[in-house]
Amino acid sequence: MTTLIIISFIAIPILTIFFRLFYGPGETWDHIVKNLLLDYSLNSLFLINGCTILTLAFGVSSAWIVSRYSIPFQKYLEWMLILPLTIPSYITAYAYAGFFDYGGSLELLLESVGISGVKLNITNIFGLIFILSVSLFPYVYVSARAVFLFQSGRLIEASKNLGVGERKTFFKIVLPIARPAIIGGLILVLMEVLNDYGAAKYFGVNTFTTGIFRSWFSLEEPATAVYLAAILLVIVFAIIYFEKLQRRNKNYAITTKSDIKTPKINLRKRTRFVLSAIVCIPVFFGFILPFLQLVYWSFLTYTEVASASFFTIALQSLGISLLAAFLTVFIAIILIYVPRWNRISWLKNSSSIAIIGYAIPGAVIAIGIMIPTLQLDKWLISTIKELFDTNVGLIINGTIIVLLYAYIIRFLAVAYNPIEASQLKIGKSLSESSKLLGKGNLYTFFKIDFPLLKVGLLSAFILVFVDVMKELPLTLILKPYDINTLAVKSYEYASDELIMEASLPSLCIIFTGIIPIILLNKLILNNDKK
Amino acid sequence: MEAFITIKSLKKSFKNSKKPVINDVNFSLKKGSITAIIGESGSGKTTLTRLISGLETPDAGSIELNSKVVNDETTFIPVEKRKVGMVFQDYALFPHLTVAQNVSYGIANKKDKKQRVFEVLQLVDLVGFEDRYPHQLSGGQQQRVALARALAPKPELLILDEPFSNLDVVLKLQLRNEIFTILKTEGVTSIFVTHDTQDAIAIADTIIVLKDGKIVQQGSVDTMYNHPKTKYVAALFNPIHLFSEEDLSFFNFKTSKDKTYAIRIRDFSIDSTADYTIKTKITRSIFLGNHYMNVVMLPNNTAINFHTEQELHGKVNVGFFKTAILEFDI
Repeated sequence: MTTLIIISFIAIPILTIFFRLFYGPGETWDHIVKNLLLDYSLNSLFLINGCTILTLAFGVSSAWIVSRYSIPFQKYLEWMLILPLTIPSYITAYAYAGFFDYGGSLELLLESVGISGVKLNITNIFGLIFILSVSLFPYVYVSARAVFLFQSGRLIEASKNLGVGERKTFFKIVLPIARPAIIGGLILVLMEVLNDYGAAKYFGVNTFTTGIFRSWFSLEEPATAVYLAAILLVIVFAIIYFEKLQRRNKNYAITTKSDIKTPKINLRKRTRFVLSAIVCIPVFFGFILPFLQLVYWSFLTYTEVASASFFTIALQSLGISLLAAFLTVFIAIILIYVPRWNRISWLKNSSSIAIIGYAIPGAVIAIGIMIPTLQLDKWLISTIKELFDTNVGLIINGTIIVLLYAYIIRFLAVAYNPIEASQLKIGKSLSESSKLLGKGNLYTFFKIDFPLLKVGLLSAFILVFVDVMKELPLTLILKPYDINTLAVKSYEYASDELIMEASLPSLCIIFTGIIPIILLNKLILNNDKK
Repeated sequence: MEAFITIKSLKKSFKNSKKPVINDVNFSLKKGSITAIIGESGSGKTTLTRLISGLETPDAGSIELNSKVVNDETTFIPVEKRKVGMVFQDYALFPHLTVAQNVSYGIANKKDKKQRVFEVLQLVDLVGFEDRYPHQLSGGQQQRVALARALAPKPELLILDEPFSNLDVVLKLQLRNEIFTILKTEGVTSIFVTHDTQDAIAIADTIIVLKDGKIVQQGSVDTMYNHPKTKYVAALFNPIHLFSEEDLSFFNFKTSKDKTYAIRIRDFSIDSTADYTIKTKITRSIFLGNHYMNVVMLPNNTAINFHTEQELHGKVNVGFFKTAILEFDI
């Protein structure tokens, strides 16, 4: 029953959008269809294509190089390649805009070496593609590297043993085997691309997400926003369907069970440095450059920005993220364990519906939640008026409850997956033994599963925490008036053309992202050693 | 006959282990021979084959294949140019390619590709399975595809790494015979790695016993069986009883101080004419289907097991003949 309630709550936003479609669009819909829809569609399509090509190029090449060859600074590069994920793409966009801006860092740098008059405008769709790609390629890198390291080693050896060279082995064996995983990573990239609001808005590129915001806030037409959200959802589901389709029949159960690690290839010194340099390119553009730009700005502005109210915002951000992470992990545990305890197999399957939120853009979730909660508020207000004859304001809307509810839907998958993976690793026999020894479900969970799940739970908690810290579109729509987050603050500064001032809140978000990722990395390594 | 493979002073250590995995290994093999490398897990047998095939580089030593140095201080011929075929323990079949595509993968000559695929598939009795994918095959069929794929490019040497470890007993017995016939038909020089002495006995002309990265003994099945150099080799090929000086004194056998002694379980007898005997009580006599396993206790409470065709009761003379004594240096 608990699971069912949770799943229904998660389904509400999608169902809302679906049913709202029958109410018809708003007055500006015709205008949007005539003048903007093609723009939204073409831009989104162009973004998807461009980001696909660039993230695949960055992600696959770097994953192949670090997993196959012995190169200088290998260990550092391996995890530095993940760092771009710690900078939200909208912040990378601000940093780049400032770097290439008139009078920006690039111009200053070039002038210092005597070059002037070079100007590069990147605030367009090509710039956006580049920025989204350098900040999101780690999704492809991580999934490709996992396959290259753990699944293809044996098959590469088999291929080489049959007298086949490196290039043919890569294209005939490695790439086809890794394809499902690589596309899995790519899907995450595309979800983030469609979800992006901050970067597209700042670069003035019209996408469905920016369109939703415009209809909702500027045009004040929720009905039109719902129609745009529905189209965006269709695109998202089409991508998911395509992913499932390509996975079908191709989900190779790789049966390599060997403990033998395929040795990394030693190349000539020069080649090794060239490969290192290739790997450094996405790290430089995805992390080092925007990071240095932000650090530089924060030195210029920290005296003005770091006020008492800034610290309040930082604390609020931290508090909300911690609370959201805790609740999301809690719900994920319930979703994983309750169907198992009650032996309800159909519920186990429906749990997978619950984790779909990660695929749905934040703006869509926000609308899907805003509409029913407003309805509920209206009903509550009129009921209270009838019963007690008093006028009250909005009760649920504009409170932190709605915001947390939205975070849970959006990030449930982020918590669900690592916990489920740890749970599967533990297996059933331990909890069955505990039950055979006469212990109940809860006792077994706290005494047996919980201590063993620790790494999974902590991973889940940290990942959700970092994601909530970074989240922008959903927070922007649903946050209470008196509460602010670092992400929203940095967006506000940037929107007010105070881009330098946006650097300090941005750096705070980046650091809160880097520290747990390093800790998590160590934790997982230690756990593996055991 | 001239040696086809010659390995000299081969050494290999890995970063994370203190002891060398392969420690001064020397041997040579004849053309067309089937050799089993036998040893427990961690003995270095898989590493040895990976060094021969070129999947790992040795720290020292040389490898010669077909009178050609493939590895020494100055030469390293990469794996794809060594013409060494390999059947992996987990088969390592390419999951996205069909049986025919898997088998034809390593054939360089485009002209003969089809013909050769047919030939090897016929050899492993898998004609008609060309369009299946690896996951559509049983374990035994996958094993045969792996063998066909390795044989297809006509390697000069074929290495089979624990080829039967993933198969059940019945299938293993059947495939053992099939593989023996196939390897002999193709006439390819083969090395196979196993931890099971029965596999080695059934297929190999020569056996190499490896322990802690060193060759303990190399020779024919007969040599291993009847003239083991160490108690480790003796125990590997036949269950033995290792005796202490005190144990043997009960049989009136005089020991020398720098030797250890062992008797194979099958060599114990209740023949009263045996050279060394003791009269003792049968503790248990257990029916094991085609024979009885008997347990007796020596006065110092050491248990001895031996086999007889009939059930035994009460007190018997248990002993052994002089010829049954296995003597090893300490």
